[in-house]
Order: sequence, then C-alpha cells, then structure tokens
Amino acid sequence: MESIKIKVAGELIHARAGETVIHSLWNAGKAELIKTGCVGGVCGACTITVRSSDGKMKGTDLACMCPVEDGMEVFPCPVDSALSLAPEPNPTEEKLRKAFPKIDKCTKCGSCTSACPMSIPVMDSVLRMRSGQLDKVADDFTTCIHCGLCRFVCEDGVQPHMMGMWIRRSIGSSLEKDMGKKLDQDLGQAELEWKYLLEGTPVDRMNHARRFRKSGEIEL
Amino acid sequence: MDWANDSLNKLEATREGRLSSNPPDIGEDEAQKLLYQYHPDYIGRQRNVRLGPNAGNGKVPYELADLLESDSQLPVGFEPSVNIETDVLILGGGGAGASAALALEGAGLKVHLATKLRLGDSNTVMAEGGIQASLGINDSSRRHFSDAYVGGHGDNDPDLLRVLCENSETTIRWLGQLGCILDSNEDGTFQLRPGGGTSLPRVLACKDYTGLEIMRVLKDAVLLSSTQTLQNHAAIELLDDGDGQVTGAVLWNRDSGDLVSVSARAIIIATGGSGQLRFQDFPTSNHIGAVGDGLVLAYRQGCKLVNSDSYQYHPSGTTYPEALAGQLITESIRSIGAQVVNAEGRRFVHEMTFRDVLAAAIIREVSEKRGVQTPTHRAGVWLDTPLVDLQNGEGFLKQKFPGIFHRFKRYKIDPAKQPILIYPTLHYQNGGIKIDRDGRTDVKGLWAAGEVTGGIHGTNRLMGNSLLDITVFGRRAAMSVQENLPQRRPVTLTQLKKFRECFKMISGKQSLLSPQLFPVASGMKIEFTKNNSAEHVSQAFEATSQSKFEPPDPFTT
Repeated sequence: MESIKIKVAGELIHARAGETVIHSLWNAGKAELIKTGCVGGVCGACTITVRSSDGKMKGTDLACMCPVEDGMEVFPCPVDSALSLAPEPNPTEEKLRKAFPKIDKCTKCGSCTSACPMSIPVMDSVLRMRSGQLDKVADDFTTCIHCGLCRFVCEDGVQPHMMGMWIRRSIGSSLEKDMGKKLDQDLGQAELEWKYLLEGTPVDRMNHARRFRKSGEIEL
Repeated sequence: MDWANDSLNKLEATREGRLSSNPPDIGEDEAQKLLYQYHPDYIGRQRNVRLGPNAGNGKVPYELADLLESDSQLPVGFEPSVNIETDVLILGGGGAGASAALALEGAGLKVHLATKLRLGDSNTVMAEGGIQASLGINDSSRRHFSDAYVGGHGDNDPDLLRVLCENSETTIRWLGQLGCILDSNEDGTFQLRPGGGTSLPRVLACKDYTGLEIMRVLKDAVLLSSTQTLQNHAAIELLDDGDGQVTGAVLWNRDSGDLVSVSARAIIIATGGSGQLRFQDFPTSNHIGAVGDGLVLAYRQGCKLVNSDSYQYHPSGTTYPEALAGQLITESIRSIGAQVVNAEGRRFVHEMTFRDVLAAAIIREVSEKRGVQTPTHRAGVWLDTPLVDLQNGEGFLKQKFPGIFHRFKRYKIDPAKQPILIYPTLHYQNGGIKIDRDGRTDVKGLWAAGEVTGGIHGTNRLMGNSLLDITVFGRRAAMSVQENLPQRRPVTLTQLKKFRECFKMISGKQSLLSPQLFPVASGMKIEFTKNNSAEHVSQAFEATSQSKFEPPDPFTT
C-alpha cells in the first residue's frame, strides 16, 4: 500500500493510503491522540477539523470516517455534551422557544450545516424550528449522531442538535402507539403453545419449534 | 471500481434473469455441512480454558481463552480503599447499562454508571437493522420464540428466550414513552420487516439507524436522570467480601490515571461484546472497547460462561473500500430484495437464511475462488443493491437506508446503481455470562445484562433480538437488584488473589493482561499514575509499562 504522511495534533504520522485517520493512529501507536468510540461513524466521539495539504481548511469530520490524504493536517476537536432538557408532551413552537431562547439568535451563517458530518441541513432545520415545522425538523434530525459540532461552530450559542433531540423525543413520546390488533388474547391457547414448545427432550423441542414457526400451529 | 469490471459485467448480465429467480434453497443437512466446513466457530480454532469455572468444560476461541487465563491489570499489592460508596454500580454505557440505569430511577437508590468510553459509545449505537417485536397480526411471542430457538440451534436457554419474547411489546411501548420514533405506516401501525430467519415480518426499525435512535434517546434520558455517570472510567477488577459476594469494583480513570475503588451493594455488568478481539483476523463491526472485559471480570469471580464458543459473523460486512472494511450493511437490505451474488454473477444461497449459514456460504464461495479480490487484498461477494430500486421503484433504497448512502458517498459509490462488496465481519458475542430470568449471575451481588451474557440467543442470534435483549434484560436486572439488594459488605481482593494462585500453576502463560480494555491493534496504553512501594514483578506487567503506582487519592471531581 502507498505510504503517505499526515499530521495529527502536530505529530507526524506515517499512514497507508486508503485507511482512516483513526486506523493510521492505531498503526502508529498514537491512538490516544483522538478520543474514539464506535469506529463506525455514529457515536460522534472522534470529531476533528482538517486542513488539506494546500493549507486550506477542509472543515470538520469524524476521524473514523475520514480517509487519510497526503499532507493533511488533523486537529482533534472533542465536543463536550451540552446540558439536556427534558422533553415535553405535544411540543409547539412556543414551548421550543421557551426551552431554547437562543433559537432566534441564529444569523443564518450556515456554519452548522457545513460542520455536520451527517449532511443534515442543520441551518434550514433551525429556520424550520423557528416557523414551527416541528415534524419536518424531527425528520431532519433522524440521522443526528449528537456529535455537537453544530453547537461547537455556532457563534451565537444556538444548540441545533439539542433542539433536534428535544423535538424528536417530545414528538416521539407524544405519539399514540397503535400496537395492532392481536389474535393473542387467548391466554389458554398461549399456554398450550408454550407447553408444546418447552416440554420434552431437546430433540422434541427443536422439532416442535421447527413446525410451529412454519405453521403457527401445534400438534395435538 | 474498475478493477472489478469483469465480475461486475457478469453480475449485470445475470441481473434481469435473477430478478425473478427463486432463491437457491439448500436443505438443513447441506446447511449443517456448510457450517462445519466453513463457519469460523466450527473449524477448530478454539481450546479449553485451563482455570476458572469453565476449566475443562467446553472450548472458546484461542484469543478469548488467552484473556481468561491472563493476569490482572491490577498491580500486585494494591489494596482497595473506598473512594466512592454507592448502592448500585452499573458497568457499561451502552444500551443495556442505560436501560438498567433508567429502570433504577425513582427507586431511592444511589446509582453510578461507569463506562470506559463516553455514555453511548457502544455497539448499541451502531445497530442498524432493527428490533424484533411480535406485533404482526398472525404473530405471537411463541412464533418469535420458535424462530429464535431454531436459529440458535436449540442451544438457547428456553427460559431466558421466553422472557425475551414475552416482553417485546412492553419494551416497544417503553421506548415509545421515552420518545423513540420507529418507522410507522400511514395508519399509525409500526412497519414490520422480515429479518433473516424470521417466519413473519417482525423487525421494527428507524431507517438503518435503529440503534442510533434508541441509544440517543436512552443516553439523553440517563443524562436527565439522577444516575451519576463516570465517563472514561474502565472497570479493571471486581471486588468481593471474601465470602463469595461481589461488593465493588476498581475503576481506572483514563483522564487522571487514578485507580478508583467503588463499594456497591449490587453491580450490574453490561460491558458488551468482544468483536475487537478479531478472531482469526476477521474484520469487525464492533466499537473500540469491545474486547470482552466483562467476561474476564465475572469469570474471575466464579461466573460460568455459556455458549462462549459461539460468535456471530455478520454476513454483510463491507469489504471495499478499505476504510469501511468490516462495517455493517444491514440485513434489512436483503430482506427487501438485494441478492447475494458471487463473482460469476450467480446466487448461491437464500439471502434470508440464518446469519451463520449465509456467512459460511460466503466464506465457501471466496475460498473456492468464486469471490472478488479487492486491490487491498481482501475478497468478498456482491450484495446486489441496485435490485432494490428495480423492485420497489427509484429512490426507495435511499429513502429507507440513508446510512449506507452517506457512508459510500465519499467513495463515489452509489448503492442504488452499484453493488457492494461484502464479506462476513465479526459482529456479536452469542455466548457469555450465565444468567437467570432476572439477570442474576452465579455470584451474589452480581447481575449481568446484554451482549456480555449468554444463553438467550443460543449459538446464533437473529437480527433484531439484541436491541430487544438489552432493553428487556437491562431493565429486568435493575428490577431484580431493587428486590434483592444485598447489605453493604467489605471490599477485598480475595477472589483475585485466589485467581492469581491458580494462575501461577498453569504453564505457557500469555504475557497479556486482562481485561484488555482496548484492541491490541490500537496500541492504546494503560498507565496508572500513582506509585506505591508494592512492586509488580511479572514480565507482563513491565511489558505494559505500568511501573508506577500508589494507592489512589480519595476520589474528587
């Protein structure tokens, strides 16, 4: 594999083309340089900023998802979690404003959107929050990994990911759940089925399970 | 992906014919043969453990056996003096630990949750496909049980599995109350997808981010609860009263380097799996901390491990590009029409058969040279993802599975137009600590929940049963703790000392220390800051440069 050089937190790292920043650190014995969690792009632990070899800032990224490029410079950028706010039933624009008064400070600079490693249209969604389109906001934040980069880059102290979470949880906990109409109300029948599945030798149990999963019926 | 053009051409040439083809159905005997010949669990890469509760009783993978036989990270001569006194100590910050913490809220108990990473950095957050619940019109907990029992080769503990299946509906309600949003139909019912080995559609999901949705909500709820979270605190040993009861733990504060001794009336161990042990050099879908810590800690206290010879190699791990190697492509994509196709453009197994059979079949294709070689010396078979839109309409795949588009976009691969190369990835620890219906282990004072436990899934877990497992059993363990809370007892290292005596007797020791905390490949260092006069003489100790140590200062934050 092609060998390339990158810098992480000022330290020179020899990396192999094709690997991620995290794996290049592992191979170099420098894993401590960047806090790491899931290594799968969904926990938000390994937030970084990146400068490419031409000296231009490329912006924020997740080190576990970011492939190495020759001459790149990586700066660890850990984001502490913000204070959570309890969700409220049946959220409205007013309740949101009360919970997050800074929502109206957004100056539409777009930093949050460009910082988001999940490509969520964060700024647009903040504007949707301000106009009360909360269902759409909940949808926008479906893929939010709560890394906090949107809050980190916001000059005005807006906390888009915290608002997204609050809206999702508030809506989610207010939804009427339809568990479907079950035929499962006959407890006597259920007990018979359990008996059929649990009694006998292991071979019996296996045969019964095989039969029952196909037909949903017990052999009497 | 020009290097794969030959094979891609073959795949495209057969696509239309395959669209209406029936999946190749191999019989049960053939499936068994496949497992015995090709599945990593069955090919002799395991051995007996020579000490502890499982000694001479069943094999485990080499790498795990080595860890179970390794010396403790704790310097010889260390004596615990209590820094934190709590009622319940939860070890592990994934879904099981968080569920347990939430179920303890309002019980009037002091609860601490320690995690060596941050709260939520876990395998839970990476789960994609969904969570099983028997909500379908013709479905039942018994049907669910039957599927999981057959899938688990009947090695499941039937009592545990029954508990799992009977609690699916209440669990979905609980998640709903917390604010989880799972995909639903126009009429307000939940969307139910099939999973590998489910006889009816039973998998609820939040697109291909189900674990993220659940973990995000659980984490937020825990942060709002009275649970005190100790982040970056790794458990390195359990403490006991000298009389067979677990009474606390020694934690390593990764930020300060201090060792912190915790006295607790009950401990719930929810430390998850061990995919990062990377058996037989398989890639893994697991998080950085998944190295079997909980198995080691509980084992030293006398807990038996069940089904620990069994691991799940998820059939669809990414093989190309290299940066994504080992990462998961959810099974759900197969359930809605993506086929698994070899280098010659042929299907070779039913895509929705049990995971272990499908994984074995893929390994066979590759070992018999019907796989596709990547430029980075890996090999795999195709997951023909473009079929999904051909069957369901353009845009369907992206709408349902935004996660895979997001990950591949960077590499200019569009899964709606190009197939994805896959190979089995080490995904899930099927076995683990033996528990009863209430999450109690063999040892008083110690409960366990989630991937660290064994018995529920037998020797092969079905999709969607682990998210259910962690939420059902995490909460059950917490309820059981409340009902059976032992009195506070002294903290000693009696069990560890006994273990070290046995450890001296075995020959050919590994120079490892365990719990290992992080993958060997990561090279992560474990260093305790304080120094005392107790000298640790073993070579292994020197090897990990833990040469400085003294009793920790009282824990202050």
